[in-house]
Amino acid sequence: MELVNIEQLLEAYFEGNTTLAQERELRTFFSSSEIPPHLALYQSMFQSFDLAKEETSQRKITIFESKKRSGFWNYSIAASLLIAIGVTAYMISQPGLTSEEEEALVAFNKTKEIMFLFSENLNEGTSSIAHLDEFSKGISYLSVINQFNESKNLILK
Amino acid sequence: MDQKEFLATVLPYKDKLYRLAKRLLVSSEEAEDAVQEVLLKLWLGKDNFSNYRNPEAFAVTMTKNYCLDRLKSKQAANLKIVHSNYQNDDNLQKKIEVSDGVQLVFKIMESLPEKQRIILQLRDVEQYDFEEIAEMLDSNETTIRVTLSRARKAVRDKLIKQYNYGVS
Repeated sequence: MELVNIEQLLEAYFEGNTTLAQERELRTFFSSSEIPPHLALYQSMFQSFDLAKEETSQRKITIFESKKRSGFWNYSIAASLLIAIGVTAYMISQPGLTSEEEEALVAFNKTKEIMFLFSENLNEGTSSIAHLDEFSKGISYLSVINQFNESKNLILK
Repeated sequence: MDQKEFLATVLPYKDKLYRLAKRLLVSSEEAEDAVQEVLLKLWLGKDNFSNYRNPEAFAVTMTKNYCLDRLKSKQAANLKIVHSNYQNDDNLQKKIEVSDGVQLVFKIMESLPEKQRIILQLRDVEQYDFEEIAEMLDSNETTIRVTLSRARKAVRDKLIKQYNYGVS
């Protein structure tokens, strides 16, 4: 294309009066290697625009509900597994009792022993109390003697 | 509309949305977030989505609005935009050796007002026609031509300034 044409197109370009097709012509012209020095300035402009269009988004689209839902399920499964593992690990690591509970058990056994001793002694005590019964029988005999005395006194009068 | 159909409609212009978001937000990380957010909104409103005459234009409008909101809330929070595009810049450099002039143009584009940046991106990078851009920006063709002219001239003038500065 003739240089004069290019210069005219450039002028229109800067006024915002070029069509897309005309702008394409400018691009093709400026993408060639032989640019007159006084137009070199515009070359970097058009090169920049072409270059800017090369850039692309690198991230994949992750917006869909189903993906979110599957993520949610994965998380819930992972969470319940974790809880199960935690609970079993706890059970395994705690076969007996905690130190506090053991202390309490020892104390309980000791008190039980003491209680047994106490109750044995108490039983011995009650067996000796049984002799008291005979004593009270004796007393009831005594009351018979009393009656005897009374009647004897009556006779003596 | 199921996932496959939705993806088939959206994927062809996903990169365009990304580039527009990046033009505005500068950070590629944030641009990816913006695209994700916009596509999620489109997916949730997919029942209306198919009724739009031009779904692509609608998606562009949403992206533009989302990015402008982000920028506003950033200014309000007095936060600075973090540039972390090393990887992407590497990619670009591999494809074509980026000349100083090109890098300068990118820098200049970052410094333009948001409206000019959007229109320059939609026209000179993505090559939409004026009618579509007017629909996307809820504006008319004349206004868009004027803004576009200003944006192009601003890039040119700043470029000339830099060149002269370099020479002298």
